[in-house]
Amino acid sequence: MTALWVAVAVWLGAWALNVALAGSALARRPFGRLLVPLIFGATVLVLWEGLVRGLGVAPVILPAPSVIAAKIAVELPTLWADFAQTILKGAIPGFLIGAGAAFVVAVAIDRSPFLQRGLLPVGNFVAALPIVGLAPILVMWFGFDWQSKAAVVVVMVFFPILVNMVAGLQASERMQRDLMATWGASYWQSLWKLRLPAAMPFIFNGLKIASTLALIGAIVAEFFGSPIYGMGFRISTEVGRLGLDMVWATIAVAALAGSALYGLITLIERWVTFWHPSQRH
Amino acid sequence: MSRALPILTVLAGIVVIWYAAAVWMNSTWVYDQAERAGTTVSFAEMVPQTMTQDRPLLPPPHQVGAELWKGLFGQAVTSKRSLVYHGYVTFKGTMMGFALGIIVGVALAMSIVRFRVMDMSVMPWAIISQTIPIVALAPMIIVVSSQLGLTGRDVPKAIIAAYLSFFPVLVSMVKGLRSPDQMQLDLLRTYGASEAATFLKLRLPASMPYFFASLKVAIAASLVGTIVGELPTGAIEGLGARMLIGSQFGEPLIMWAALFAAAILAGLLIVTVGLLEGMARRRMGVPA
Amino acid sequence: MKRLMTAAFVAALGTGAQAEDVTLQLKWVTQAQFAGYYVAQAKGFYEEEGLNVTILPGGPDIAPTQVIAGGGADVMVDWMPAALAAREKGLPLVNIAQPFASSGMMLTCLAETGIKTPADFADKTLGVWFFGNEYPFLSWMATLGLATDGSPGGVTVLKQGFNVDPLLQKQAACISTMTYNEYWQVIDAGITPEQLVTFKYEDQGVATLEDGLYVLEDRLADPAFAETMVKFVRASMKGWKYAEANSDEAAMIVLENDQTGAQTENHQKRMMGEIAKLTAGSNGALDVAAAERTVATLLAGGSDPVITKAPEGAWTSAITDAALAN
Repeated sequence: MTALWVAVAVWLGAWALNVALAGSALARRPFGRLLVPLIFGATVLVLWEGLVRGLGVAPVILPAPSVIAAKIAVELPTLWADFAQTILKGAIPGFLIGAGAAFVVAVAIDRSPFLQRGLLPVGNFVAALPIVGLAPILVMWFGFDWQSKAAVVVVMVFFPILVNMVAGLQASERMQRDLMATWGASYWQSLWKLRLPAAMPFIFNGLKIASTLALIGAIVAEFFGSPIYGMGFRISTEVGRLGLDMVWATIAVAALAGSALYGLITLIERWVTFWHPSQRH
Repeated sequence: MSRALPILTVLAGIVVIWYAAAVWMNSTWVYDQAERAGTTVSFAEMVPQTMTQDRPLLPPPHQVGAELWKGLFGQAVTSKRSLVYHGYVTFKGTMMGFALGIIVGVALAMSIVRFRVMDMSVMPWAIISQTIPIVALAPMIIVVSSQLGLTGRDVPKAIIAAYLSFFPVLVSMVKGLRSPDQMQLDLLRTYGASEAATFLKLRLPASMPYFFASLKVAIAASLVGTIVGELPTGAIEGLGARMLIGSQFGEPLIMWAALFAAAILAGLLIVTVGLLEGMARRRMGVPA
Repeated sequence: MKRLMTAAFVAALGTGAQAEDVTLQLKWVTQAQFAGYYVAQAKGFYEEEGLNVTILPGGPDIAPTQVIAGGGADVMVDWMPAALAAREKGLPLVNIAQPFASSGMMLTCLAETGIKTPADFADKTLGVWFFGNEYPFLSWMATLGLATDGSPGGVTVLKQGFNVDPLLQKQAACISTMTYNEYWQVIDAGITPEQLVTFKYEDQGVATLEDGLYVLEDRLADPAFAETMVKFVRASMKGWKYAEANSDEAAMIVLENDQTGAQTENHQKRMMGEIAKLTAGSNGALDVAAAERTVATLLAGGSDPVITKAPEGAWTSAITDAALAN
């Protein structure tokens, strides 16, 4: 039990330190911005380790972080092969295709009021089909390899991006649009110079949500059939084998990959929408 | 009529494409079977055979429609074979998860906008939490819940649904609460408004469009979470269980009917959320 | 954790002095494969023994071993390879009864692929279930000397889902099937038995024991729990024998317990008929020779065996001896 109390004490101390850090001048520097969440994350791991050891939780229920770290070190080649299969071949192509398709459809809908009235309700309905049900069907259609995973991801990311994009294209103010009209701007000029930039915060909101969905989609799809590598395969197989250390190692890789993708989108957003009030802290 | 016409046009187009795809995708099986039997089929003989298969790759619309009709109205709504019953089970889980997700999402967003330390330490982890495939955690959530004496299947399901639905709410609310520009904030400061008043009179109203836009995504995410949660809970009841069973027993029609029932449920939920949004906007005097 | 579990168990005893609560975790969804337990429940055999049994269906994401480790069940139905592998991982599972005398597992291939003997598997794609069900297959391939990593001359393995579509779509030359379930799905789909080539694990000499009852070793040391298990096994076997003799009635009982409403009468009755063949000849007592054959098969895994050493104390006859004595 001592392990547990030590962990709790470490947690409280670190939280106090974080409160101090966040209020200090350091917090305005990039270093501080990185340090605070890292300290927070580290304390979570310490607390987890303390809980598992203090309460003697069975490793087949929840392995300790130290055990998981050791597993990651040993199994790097396997984890890399899984990562390549699921993220590089499944999630990322699917994400790009889905986002591209959503972009094209959003502009098409925006262009034609008839399509807007016809496609949007239907699109809402079709895209709200829960992915889990589509996954076995798409695996049946596209085979067991990465193609079916990419297809699932396309279907999954399309909806949030489309909804945000359509909302975003309506985000510019009437006065701004009138101004464009008085200058005799064509539809495309007004789209390019006013409405797309105004829609950017919404679009990136959709892209961010979709980036996390893309990973989940690629991994879930592997539950319904896959070759014998891939992150979803690894998770579902190792749960059955009680290799929970490997399950968590794969979850850690998934979290890292997802964070990297999200971070990349955030960086692009900062660069594109520097003018938006929400970017000023 | 002017509103229905475009939708009907699009729907008619989809049905036509669907039938064509069904013929094309199901023909493989017809030709394979003919080859095994040592006979040949002409195109005219093949088409009707693609419309009535027990295990079609893509069931044509009328087959799905018939199965859906049977599931919804073919028996008492309390029957285990009724899609209404399974839909209700899924709906219950979705609403529990959705409510939990909104509470968690809004509370986190408020504290993140208010406290720097929360913003700096929790926000990155909230994002990372979404990258963890919840499906992998689902069996563990159930094991741990049963350990804590929660033998019911509802709580784990709601946790999984909330896990997926709190995030869109959180991201949009943070953005929305920060959307007032400096001039508006300065104006309130000159009025000597307290922090609470600034929040209630400026930040909260400004965040509403963002909030409602996120609700549509959140309710869909909550439904997905519930259905995912219905798979590892022993595939007992709910639309997720029906899909899984349909997939497992090679009954594509059961799977498709459950899928469409889930889509109808999703549609109803999204329409309801949209109506609420419209009402709220009118109440708040936002120009439509 | 252990303390927690014991405490919970004592609490359960305290409240349920009139009926002892037993939770059984099944390996898979409610179907005739588990008819004996549902029959024992419906016919009141458990009640006669003073037991209050809760049957938890399994599913594709439920590892019975994990549920029992987490204290979510007292006893579970599982295959011996998975149980032995878990035992080697530090989860001390013990087989207390073996209602299934023989294995129902087989590999079903399309005849048009030209496969006639196991030697023809080379360079073909085979569908396999994972989640703890892959062990018998991997052991068999090791005995045949076929690599399973997709290298030339070996076999390409697909993780198949829960249905037979990979075979129907020709995505795989062969798929894993059970004699009582998936094989009939292939037949129902319109492929005739002549168009199929089947390899039963029993005939190939690589059969492993399926559907035994397992509990945790440390709990078995408690005489009260052991006594409960004796009653449970006795009532369950009574249920199995009743199901064997009245297979259609048993199938209907299973159907009533199916909460998904997706199982069909026809499929369940046929499944029960096939299951009866597997339970026939078992009175519940484990055939030690068969268990040792299972161990030998698993140890034969070449470079990557399922278990690395012969297990000790992985089965006990104490429960069935007492259950069958009267």
